[in-house]
Amino acid sequence: MGREAREMEARELRTVGAVTRRKDGLAKVTGTETYASDMELPYMLHARVLRSPYPHARVVSIDTSAAERMGAICITPDDVPDIRYNERQVSVPVKTYRDRTVLPWVVRQVGEGVAAVAARTEALAERAMRAIKVEWEELPAVFDAHKAMADDAPQIYENVLLGDAEFPIEHNVACFRQVSVGDVAVGFEEADLIVEREYQTGRVYHAQMEPKAALCRPLADGGIELWATLQSIHNTRQLLGRIFDLPLSRIRVHRSTIGGAFGSSIQMNTPVAICVALALKARKPVKLVLTREEDMYDHCKYPAEISLKYGVKRDGTIVAGELKTLVDIGAHNIQAYPLLGCMSGWFVSLYRMPHMNFEGTAVYTNKTPACAMQGYGNPDVSFAVESHMDIIAEKLDIDPIELRIKNYVGLGEEFWGQGPTVRSIIRSCGVEEMLRKGAPMIGWDERGRPEDKTGRYRRGIGVGRTFHTSGTGAAMPGEVIDYSTAMVTVNEDGSVDMSTALMCHGGGTLDACAKLVAEEMGVSFDLVGVSPASTTDTGYDVCTHATRGVYCGGGSAVKAAKSAKAVLLDFASRLIEVNPEALQIAPDPVTGEGVIFLEGAADKRITVGEVAKTAQLKGWGTAIAVESHRMVNCPPCFVTNFVEVEVDTWTGEVRVPRAVCAVDAGTVVNPDLAAGQLEGGLCRGIGQALLEDTAYDPVTGEMTCGGMYIDYKLYTAEDMAPVDDVKVFFADTYEPSGPFGAKGIGEAANNAVAAAVMNALQNALGIRFQFIPITPDMILAAIHGWACEGVLPA
Amino acid sequence: MLTSCTNAIILTVNGDEHMLVVEPNELLINVLRNELGLTGSKYGCGTGQCGACTVLIDGEPALACVTLAVACDGKEIVTIEGIARPDGGLHPIQEEFLGENAVQCGFCTPGMILMAGDLLKRNPHPTEPEIRHHIKGNICRCTGYNGIVRAIQHAAARMAEPAAADGPDLVKEAR
Repeated sequence: MGREAREMEARELRTVGAVTRRKDGLAKVTGTETYASDMELPYMLHARVLRSPYPHARVVSIDTSAAERMGAICITPDDVPDIRYNERQVSVPVKTYRDRTVLPWVVRQVGEGVAAVAARTEALAERAMRAIKVEWEELPAVFDAHKAMADDAPQIYENVLLGDAEFPIEHNVACFRQVSVGDVAVGFEEADLIVEREYQTGRVYHAQMEPKAALCRPLADGGIELWATLQSIHNTRQLLGRIFDLPLSRIRVHRSTIGGAFGSSIQMNTPVAICVALALKARKPVKLVLTREEDMYDHCKYPAEISLKYGVKRDGTIVAGELKTLVDIGAHNIQAYPLLGCMSGWFVSLYRMPHMNFEGTAVYTNKTPACAMQGYGNPDVSFAVESHMDIIAEKLDIDPIELRIKNYVGLGEEFWGQGPTVRSIIRSCGVEEMLRKGAPMIGWDERGRPEDKTGRYRRGIGVGRTFHTSGTGAAMPGEVIDYSTAMVTVNEDGSVDMSTALMCHGGGTLDACAKLVAEEMGVSFDLVGVSPASTTDTGYDVCTHATRGVYCGGGSAVKAAKSAKAVLLDFASRLIEVNPEALQIAPDPVTGEGVIFLEGAADKRITVGEVAKTAQLKGWGTAIAVESHRMVNCPPCFVTNFVEVEVDTWTGEVRVPRAVCAVDAGTVVNPDLAAGQLEGGLCRGIGQALLEDTAYDPVTGEMTCGGMYIDYKLYTAEDMAPVDDVKVFFADTYEPSGPFGAKGIGEAANNAVAAAVMNALQNALGIRFQFIPITPDMILAAIHGWACEGVLPA
Repeated sequence: MLTSCTNAIILTVNGDEHMLVVEPNELLINVLRNELGLTGSKYGCGTGQCGACTVLIDGEPALACVTLAVACDGKEIVTIEGIARPDGGLHPIQEEFLGENAVQCGFCTPGMILMAGDLLKRNPHPTEPEIRHHIKGNICRCTGYNGIVRAIQHAAARMAEPAAADGPDLVKEAR
């Protein structure tokens, strides 16, 4: 869309971009919102899971007789289908590695479930679970990705399935990916300067506030009904159908409100299948809610070791780049193959390189399995690349912002939204605007040089920029499935129902879709209802992940609204005798009800409700439409973070007293909710940079935090910068392929923060930290030159 | 064999008196959620470390996931379900949580609102550091806290206006 058309549309937007009260807000502030863990059914049993105390062991025997004498229903590996599956269903099957069963005979991490019970009360279930006797044969375990690849390392798997084919596992390598463009050797030959560094990121826990839960009701026809903590009702249904050999028409998965996601439920998590197996055996509803400790052993973020090399010309032009990464995926391969593809894509799409090579290796260890967490490898790649940009800028004596502006991948160039098979051309880009506008807001030119800073408290300013994809759509099918389905119905009173299987993780995705529908239909936001959703009453939606909610889910909602509107206008044209293509709809300024009118003709007006009601009475039908829609682009939502840090050089403690967060989300559909996402992403990003990690006891294989928040620290309100010192702004862009010009925001909010913090630390202390999280002990070690793991010579 | 030693207790919850028979080791959060259907108090960690289960017991904030129900015998408890105005309208803190975008996934929201009410009862004009200090035991993973702090600032300003119908005491308002 040209600038004029865009301006015309922007002037006319009524609902998109307006600040509104979130539709689920009332329930959430009054404590009446129902999460999966709040659900109850009559005669419901409570479940507990018997978990492995060993990081690697074979189950020799399980005796459930004592538990059964208590009246508990018990399941062991003998009672569950012998189906190997991957809990994540986003990739096409031939690219899906399947290595787990509902309950295994061989456990590969502490906390892996081997048996489960259901009983009348939670207390009885706990007692029964403890009465189960398991004979274990301990196996050697390995907790380090490098050691896991050694010849003498314990073998965690002999083979897994890739699609439906056996796939042998050697040296515990789960998968490997190499992606290259041009000839990197030639590129480095042409370079005037080559910079090479190692980086490492932590094994962060999602810490979504709601521990995972599932409630399953078996049905008389052998089917099941399920409420659970999840991000995709349809993928959950498909997987349950495969595991339990049930037709999908007999599985009804409901959308429940989720208490935070951050990627933790893209896959169907372990409690779901265990709960279903118990309910099918018990023939009664069964509810399973994880404890926080169990939840912490269920998943974490993919950590990464990154070896990065860039070759640049004297003027700062990048000519070649090479990124090699080693990812310790833990006990299961949930989505390492697409992760490595995405990491190559983030690398390619950050800065232009004629020659590029990427190599990624994912390795099994006997630790908590890693899965996607906000950014999916992007915070890791961006931390490395953005640190590198500052190093290169310093070596070439170029302003770091100018170096970024010289090299970033922008308008008209190719963006890899989900690895090498999901590409699109960038059609909207606010990178330069955000860098130029944000710099004075943080005081970039006054940040000073580290060598001039003295005293106990030292401040520094840093920048990080990156993006996230908006979904995983592309012109051609790739490794990842991406489309959404939406249904829009015009009700007989002029209100509108929107039905979709999309989820809201808290960021406002469903509100955004309702706004897009309201905009398209010409009714007020208040009159658009978001219908409850389950698999039986919605069409397929891949998953609310990959920052695709507003762009892809919203895209399908707008398409359905357009189609429903066409039916409505056809009805209206019969009633007021005007060609439907000449009719417009706008909300009545007082009632918000849609009014259908012919411009300039006062007698040619009728309300949406009158048309819908009359159409019903005359038997013409309902203005309703369902659209299953794939976006054929995956535009990047660019993000820029400036942060200031203050380091206490006596204690090594770091504060972030000021920050500027900017995003290029195209048209911003929910401005206040979008700002809230940026503030939340800032907090989580600072946590990744300075605080959060999980470590493992090399003897017991247990997490040193024990799965407890007391030892897994999170940022609190007191740790964050004052409200007036966190500035948020949006780039003024319009995405031509997006619904009313919108792109995503979600993951972008967090992706550049750690990079900005680490660059600010360098500006404060003159020390380049290459490991995150960087903790006070490491900072003191670096200041004083003490030996400390994680502190490398700059 | 299982043995049971139950206790009859009386809890006044959100102004309503309930006689309940509970196990001696039963936790307050389970009684509120499972017996009384007040699921607004959330289980976030079960060990008193996240604040999602916060309620007021005799006007003092308490963590329902580490409080025995029998220890609350004869006490007055206020949960998130009990803080709306008697006419059903929202409490100013709830209003401001909505208006200032302090709510994302909503799981920490009940505990945050109760802590905010407790703060404003003790200190009607808190500074920003005082607000942050008072809610630091309540974890929010979504918002980065700024929306929550703004909401409490605005609620304080609003409740200080002479036109405010009633004071900031959540317990009083539950009646």
